[in-house]
Amino acid sequence: MEVGRLPISAALKGKLVSAGYTSLSLLSSLSPSHLARDLNISENEALDILKHAPHDGRIDTSGGHHIISGAQTAWDMLHEEELLTRITTSSVDIDNILGGGISCREVTEIGGVPGIGKTQLGIQLAVNVQLPVHCGGLGGKAIYIDTEGSFMVERVLQIAEACWDDMLANNAISQNVHAGQVGMQPKDFLENILYFRVCSYTEQIALINYLDKFISEHRDVKIVVVDSITFHFRQDFEDMALRTRLLSGMALKLMKLAKKFCLAVVLLNQVTTKYAEGSFQLTLALGDSWSHACTNRIILYWNGNERYAYIDKSPSLRSASAPYAVTARGIRNNVSNCKRIKLM
Amino acid sequence: MKPEDLLVRPRPTAKCTAGCPVLDRCLGGGVPCRSVTEVVGESGCGKTQLCLQLLLSAQLPPSRGGLSASSLYLHSEFPFPLRRLRQLARARPLGPRHDPLDHIFVHPLHSAHHLLDVLPKLESFVENFKSRFPVRLVVIDSIAALFRSEFDNNPLDLKRRSSMFFKIAGKLKWLAEKFDLAVVVTNQVVDLVVPNEGINGLRIGNLGCLDSSGRRVCAALGLSWANCVNSRLFLSKDKEIVSTVNDMRDGCGCEPMHFGTRRRLHLLFAPHIPDTSCEYVITREGVSGVCR
Repeated sequence: MEVGRLPISAALKGKLVSAGYTSLSLLSSLSPSHLARDLNISENEALDILKHAPHDGRIDTSGGHHIISGAQTAWDMLHEEELLTRITTSSVDIDNILGGGISCREVTEIGGVPGIGKTQLGIQLAVNVQLPVHCGGLGGKAIYIDTEGSFMVERVLQIAEACWDDMLANNAISQNVHAGQVGMQPKDFLENILYFRVCSYTEQIALINYLDKFISEHRDVKIVVVDSITFHFRQDFEDMALRTRLLSGMALKLMKLAKKFCLAVVLLNQVTTKYAEGSFQLTLALGDSWSHACTNRIILYWNGNERYAYIDKSPSLRSASAPYAVTARGIRNNVSNCKRIKLM
Repeated sequence: MKPEDLLVRPRPTAKCTAGCPVLDRCLGGGVPCRSVTEVVGESGCGKTQLCLQLLLSAQLPPSRGGLSASSLYLHSEFPFPLRRLRQLARARPLGPRHDPLDHIFVHPLHSAHHLLDVLPKLESFVENFKSRFPVRLVVIDSIAALFRSEFDNNPLDLKRRSSMFFKIAGKLKWLAEKFDLAVVVTNQVVDLVVPNEGINGLRIGNLGCLDSSGRRVCAALGLSWANCVNSRLFLSKDKEIVSTVNDMRDGCGCEPMHFGTRRRLHLLFAPHIPDTSCEYVITREGVSGVCR
């Protein structure tokens, strides 16, 4: 609405326009004291003007500015982040380099050679997200999108049982308290993993587009694991530009999902070779443009006979690597003698 | 296809016994369905023997570890080992008036493109095959041979070849999922030239290096193909000196050396089994694991 239409005196209108407030939306996030100072008028007059300005039903007298709806101050964001818990990976060393675990509202990409433990880590996270908060989980459900057929129920049950035993062993929940409270059994862990099997790239795209609606109806989902994000996109696309568009569309949707529903998105990726500087190097698949799609990037690799996880890209964590092991109980710390966390 | 339909209830995987309890223990029960299992080894290590044995054990009822199923055997190496199959069938009878050869279907493959052409026909065959023994096992022996002739060793061809891998694997996995099939693929090995190992020296799986017949080897078809399979088994063989039971000595007092073949099956990677290995032997009755 135009400032000129306001039921105020012409003098005040003139002052508003010359100060740059040509439309009411610009007034909507101001406090009366600020406007008064700007226009050189009294606070009461400022209040009068602001009464007509469209705002979310209240004048923010605390001085907070909301210049664009949906924006937050960094201070608010810091407070929110401190409240966010992370999902443990069941390996203390990996949790440490991750700052506690996999974080929500972020897309984490995990890549490595076949057999290094990507699916194992994915399943471990899908189980761990269901743990109560004081055990390193979020008390929520998991969505597991399987594009390769690596999800084996018997392995999930094995990991869930081990998780369950660990919880009891740590007296995290006493048997009596637990029976009444949550009533979780190892097989309940499997029930809380919503499993999608995807067999082509069109199904994958359709599913990711559908996730917004699905998660709105299943608000207790706290993690989405895609195993793997790459497989169906490494076929021949006659039009590579199409592939890039599809991939970036997918990346954008996943980031939005993470932020909107405050959940963790974990994408498992494969490795491929890239010819650079005269030699072949290992790199994550899907190309350079895809590397912008994720917030954090973890690479799993072999160092001699041991498995290591390395933070390759993160806005807030420093590069570090940590050893881990894949055991019958799932992902755990590596208990060999030369275990140490290397800071790069 | 609606996205809601993609949500499925995960069900336990049926497994096809390998025909020997020791091997089954190594494989976590047998070859799993809805999954692509690769058997890698040099020629003569027993890949085809193992596959032929699977064709027979698939016909066993589930109570004996089988799938009560027919099998499809796609072979790229000629001729098809019919005589050996008959020999195995005689050694492992499945019941009176049950001719196992009735439930094995064989199709030749000439190239990778031929395989892509055959897959839709395979799909309609499996779908329309009405019998007490539906098709539940598909064996491709061997996948490496299909790619030998069409592709040269330059980056462009290798990239094209890599895309083919994912296309073929995508279709195989889709078939496996749709019809609850166990897919077994055999692959060959190539020599690893040390010290200039390059990308072939990359460690994939539980073994740091693969040795067979005293040579350092790695699976053919490279890293891309390794990303396409769900599980990989490595069969190796080595000469071993078997000492004689009686202390025979010839004229100059030396013990004669007897050489036997030591064969080992090693699990390189699988989503549901830990690092295991076992020894095995190949006899007239087939492939059997050895507990030592």
